[in-house]
Amino acid sequence: MHKKLTVHVIILLVITSALLFVNLFFGSISISLADLKEGIVSDIFYNIRIPKTITAILAGGSLAISGLLMQTLFRNPLAGPYVLGVSSGAGLFVAIAMILFGGVSNYFVGKSLISISAIAGSLLIMSVVLFISKRSRSNTTVLLVGIMISQILGAFQGLIEYISNPAALKSFVVWGMGSVSNTSSKDIYILLPICFLFCVMTLFLAKPLNAILLNETYAQNLGINVGRLRLTIIFITAILTGLITAFCGPIAFVGLSVPIACRLLFKSAHQLHQLCYCFLLGAITLLFCDTVCQLLSNSYAIPINTITTIIGSPVVIYLIFSRKESLT
Amino acid sequence: MLQVKDLNIGYEKREILSGLNFSIGRGELIGLVGSNGVGKSTLLKTLTGNLKPLSGEVNVDGKALPLIPQQELSKLISIVLTDKLGGFNLTVFDIVAAGRIPYLSAFGQLTEKDIEVIQESLETIGIKQLSGNYFDELSDGQKQKVLIAKSLAQQTPVILMDEPTAFLDFDSRQKLFQILKKLVKEQHKTIIVSSHDLEVLFRNVDEVLYLKGNKDYHFESPDKIKTFFL
Repeated sequence: MHKKLTVHVIILLVITSALLFVNLFFGSISISLADLKEGIVSDIFYNIRIPKTITAILAGGSLAISGLLMQTLFRNPLAGPYVLGVSSGAGLFVAIAMILFGGVSNYFVGKSLISISAIAGSLLIMSVVLFISKRSRSNTTVLLVGIMISQILGAFQGLIEYISNPAALKSFVVWGMGSVSNTSSKDIYILLPICFLFCVMTLFLAKPLNAILLNETYAQNLGINVGRLRLTIIFITAILTGLITAFCGPIAFVGLSVPIACRLLFKSAHQLHQLCYCFLLGAITLLFCDTVCQLLSNSYAIPINTITTIIGSPVVIYLIFSRKESLT
Repeated sequence: MLQVKDLNIGYEKREILSGLNFSIGRGELIGLVGSNGVGKSTLLKTLTGNLKPLSGEVNVDGKALPLIPQQELSKLISIVLTDKLGGFNLTVFDIVAAGRIPYLSAFGQLTEKDIEVIQESLETIGIKQLSGNYFDELSDGQKQKVLIAKSLAQQTPVILMDEPTAFLDFDSRQKLFQILKKLVKEQHKTIIVSSHDLEVLFRNVDEVLYLKGNKDYHFESPDKIKTFFL
């Protein structure tokens, strides 16, 4: 069991390292080691490429872990932050925050306010979805309500965009396309410690997550405080999804398809294993998608959501057709 | 081992059973019978602490149920439910291993001793050959056996089973009761089994709790309870 985990983690780490190298050195301009000493290329490497690569790893890993937590909590393989409207909740609150706090001159204060708003939006929607899931035992109902919430929030966001000034509108549209390229070195000081802390925290949830895979009654009988676990999952998911959405915009399909792919590829039910796999495969997915965007976009910037959707959708379709039992 | 005093059970304001008083000792096999919807599952869930009683007391080993920490309670009482489980790559081994959760560290990693207990539980129920199979791929009867093995792996002195024979064939039902009787005799476990299979149940249990309706129940020997059904 441990041997399998070690082998899989090593393979994923090797792929991550290879993609990290490609992501750092190849793109709209290729960079060689000799370029790193000085000049404009060196600036691009240290101030654009490195923050972008770190953001891709953190965003991919955090969204995949959020998706896994949601799928386990709702016992629904089609749950995810984007599908259930959690990303939209963060998105709407970011849109409101951009109007309210857009003029804040201090960089860290401005970014922190937007991040806190995004987390509040995620937290609100996670709580609403969980409330509905407690009322309805049907997985389909929860998914449909999540999609409807997503639509409603999207409509409100559209309304805010409609009434906002051209400068704010432009920043909304760019942000809404989703990108790991818009983070600066300063942003990494916020993103890195928080994402790292909360992703590591989830490892300590492995035991209760294993128990809740059976169902809530069994989990309770196995000594798990289900109420506290539920709150912890909501809290961690809201922070990770909210923060990534604030910095990168809403990124589709990673939170949904990476946990599914991990279950299909690694055939393990142990949540400690799945958490490790999800973080690494999430990082690999976004590094890969961003590298594709970089290599294809000499004149136009391709939104990362285009690539994540092209890769993510077939995974979800495969799952739906490969399931033996009904989703309800 | 289990004492119930003036117990009223139900959901929120809907009372299902009231005025229950009985006591079950260590090493007893008790049958729980009654028609559908009378409150058998609700009673079992109340005895495990999954449902709070509307009023009254449940004592386990002399301690009031609400005063027993959840972690400690998970090492005292285990349950086998009729709820649907599966998916998420869960194998037979994973489900039985879940019985060891109360004894594991935060990361949920199994020790050699845990694996030994899991193998023993699988062997006792006779499903060792299914260990690597996906739970989803089993028949309903096999699933039921896996959940019983999980309950054994939990190593609790009290086991509560909600209709464990529901999907089992006649031979498997007989074998299950033989296993339960062995656990009661050799390991002094206290087991309550709810079932509609009265013939097999009456033949094997020490006493029967017959729930007829609200405020109407009997806790007698199988021979006396049989007379109600004649």
